[in-house]
Amino acid sequence: MSIKTVWHAIRNTLRAIRSGELLLRIRADKYYMHIMYLFLLMWMTILLSLQVDKTLARVGDNKAALERLRIHHAEKEAALVKLHSASAAEIRLRELGSEAALPNEPASVIKKK
Amino acid sequence: MREQSEIKDNIQNRDRIHVVMFFLSLLFMVLGGFILAWIIKIQTTYTVDSSVIGLFRPVEQKHVDHPVRGRILATDGRPMAISAPLYDIYMDCTVRKKDYEEEGKDSLERAWRNKARDLARYLSIEFKDRSADDYANMILNGRQKGSRYLRLQRNVDLSTIERVKTFPLFKEGPYTGGIIVEEHEERIYPYDSLARRVIGYVKEQNRIGLESSFDTELHGTEGYEWRRVTDKKRWIRDLDSAAVKVQNGNDIRTTLNVDFQDIADKALRAQINANEDIRAGICIIMEAKTGAIRAMVNLSRGATPQTVLWERENLALREVGEQGSVMKTVTLLSVVEDGYVTSLEQTLPTNHGFVPKGGIKGKPSAYPHDAHISDYERETGRHEITVMHGFEISSNYVFATLAETYYGKKPQEFIDHVYSYRLGEAFDFDIDGLRSPYVPRLDSPGWSSTTLGTMAYGYAMSVTPLHVATFYNGIANKGKMMKPYLVESVEKDGKVIKKYEPSALNASICSPATADTVTRALRAVVNSGTATRLRSAKLPVVGKTGTAQVVLTAEERKGSIDPYHDIAGRKKNQGTFVGFFPADNPKYTIMVTVYSYLSGKSFYGGTMPALAVRDIVDRIYALDEEWRPCLRPGGTYENANE
Repeated sequence: MSIKTVWHAIRNTLRAIRSGELLLRIRADKYYMHIMYLFLLMWMTILLSLQVDKTLARVGDNKAALERLRIHHAEKEAALVKLHSASAAEIRLRELGSEAALPNEPASVIKKK
Repeated sequence: MREQSEIKDNIQNRDRIHVVMFFLSLLFMVLGGFILAWIIKIQTTYTVDSSVIGLFRPVEQKHVDHPVRGRILATDGRPMAISAPLYDIYMDCTVRKKDYEEEGKDSLERAWRNKARDLARYLSIEFKDRSADDYANMILNGRQKGSRYLRLQRNVDLSTIERVKTFPLFKEGPYTGGIIVEEHEERIYPYDSLARRVIGYVKEQNRIGLESSFDTELHGTEGYEWRRVTDKKRWIRDLDSAAVKVQNGNDIRTTLNVDFQDIADKALRAQINANEDIRAGICIIMEAKTGAIRAMVNLSRGATPQTVLWERENLALREVGEQGSVMKTVTLLSVVEDGYVTSLEQTLPTNHGFVPKGGIKGKPSAYPHDAHISDYERETGRHEITVMHGFEISSNYVFATLAETYYGKKPQEFIDHVYSYRLGEAFDFDIDGLRSPYVPRLDSPGWSSTTLGTMAYGYAMSVTPLHVATFYNGIANKGKMMKPYLVESVEKDGKVIKKYEPSALNASICSPATADTVTRALRAVVNSGTATRLRSAKLPVVGKTGTAQVVLTAEERKGSIDPYHDIAGRKKNQGTFVGFFPADNPKYTIMVTVYSYLSGKSFYGGTMPALAVRDIVDRIYALDEEWRPCLRPGGTYENANE
């Protein structure tokens, strides 16, 4: 391949660009579907990436909600077991003016047989 | 001609379009070339200013996830220590003040102040610690003085925080309402002071109890992840970066029974509160067959009786001292096991209460005189006393004489017994800090001609209450001495991942027959000896009382040469009852000891400790499923477990 041939090819290309015929000359229409497919893929990637961001944001919200529930649960559990001791029950009964107290005898078990 | 003219016009038009297109095309090509050259320049020569470079990088943050500390559970699963955050509420009182001043918007400033007064009213109702006016003054004075960090409340729970955030002004958020909420992880102990010394805590360098011993299990492992900002300014996990998942701490299931702990705490508290001379008290309840500790109470006052009773230190593990008469059981067990005493009705000469050196036929020695024996001789007119009666009345003479008679020439044999009962060493325990006892050896500096006999009635050797309870538990368990333990298992999300089984410290400290004989002697103590207050307990209890004088420090003695009395004749006592119940088939071993301040009074194991034990036993009887009567058709009762 001589320099003249190369120069000729460059000149033809530049002329084709200038006259807007480059894509037609290289028969780019053959790759139209591929170009559209590539465009679709890029578009899908961006869309999916945004969806992933959205989902991760929701995961973060849910984690925070779960943590809030865990804290609430721990607080309620603590409050509940505080009332669950025999002493606490006795004090509460006294406060309410009840005469009921902790048993002096063990509870009886009823058996059928 | 006309055609030629039209053709010429067309050619001219086409040439014009061609020229325009050519120049347009050239313009774009020049622009393209310029852009290309610019790109090459940026790529090769251009450097970004370091102050600006951060703005071009994606914003990322390392987020550390702190593990949730594991829970400490009672044996039935009730939580005794839980982790949850608490919050402190602060207020930036100066919020928007400058804006309102600069814009000359007095009406907005007035509206803000009115909302602050409303807020004050709500805060007063919520927290009930200050009046609405006090809160309003705090906030408005803070605004006047430019306070940006005014503390309103500390240690508030999440529910309260969520309510507070709906209050006037605060509901407008931090940029208008000025609310600042700071979170800090806290350990919640739902049962307050109950078993606090056993549960313990971890606060920087201060680490005690189970929280300290099992810190590696409870703590968990920190995790981290990198986070980035989305287009909508939300922080999300960056999936392209490394992340380590947080591992929350494991739960510890203890052997503690909350009800027993509560009962023991209450009974001991009642006894200590009733007497200003009592400084502290401990109670240990241990399951006979396994050695599982069901309750361990350690109550003490501060330097003066006016201070609140609280779990200040783990006396059950740390109060090494001479235990007094409860150690006579050690001597009794040894002489029965060795076959020197074959019957509890075996007699010794009373010798007017003076212990003969070298045994029954020896000469009077340097042992202190035992007044109990003189009283016995006077009351009964007899000059012989059975071993059983000596045990019932807790005679020092009888036990020093037994030791002198049977071990006087071979004291090492007696010392070996003491060590075999594991009273001479600190064994491995679930909580750090079990102190080492002191049991003298023949080559110990203080060993004298009376050391052996003194050891026989519970002085000259110092042990912890846990050692004593473990020894008695061995008798309750027919000679098999179980290792006391506090932790049953380590759990993760309710699943057991590590199980701790009961183990023996000494598989046989004595034969079952010896254990039965000693149990008979312990029963006599309750029936007709020094612990008769326990006769009326709802379950048959057997055990031994002990009253010991505590060796005073040089500071407490204030110049006195007597180690047990200060210059004013005051002393420190400890009274103990230790035993097990029910007598025939022991399920629990129990020990209660009270410690006095320096006092002129004496405190005995048969009084306060025995009363506390009776109270505890009665309540356990009413609660424990073991003793539930079973009602069968026809109205007949029998034990539910039969």
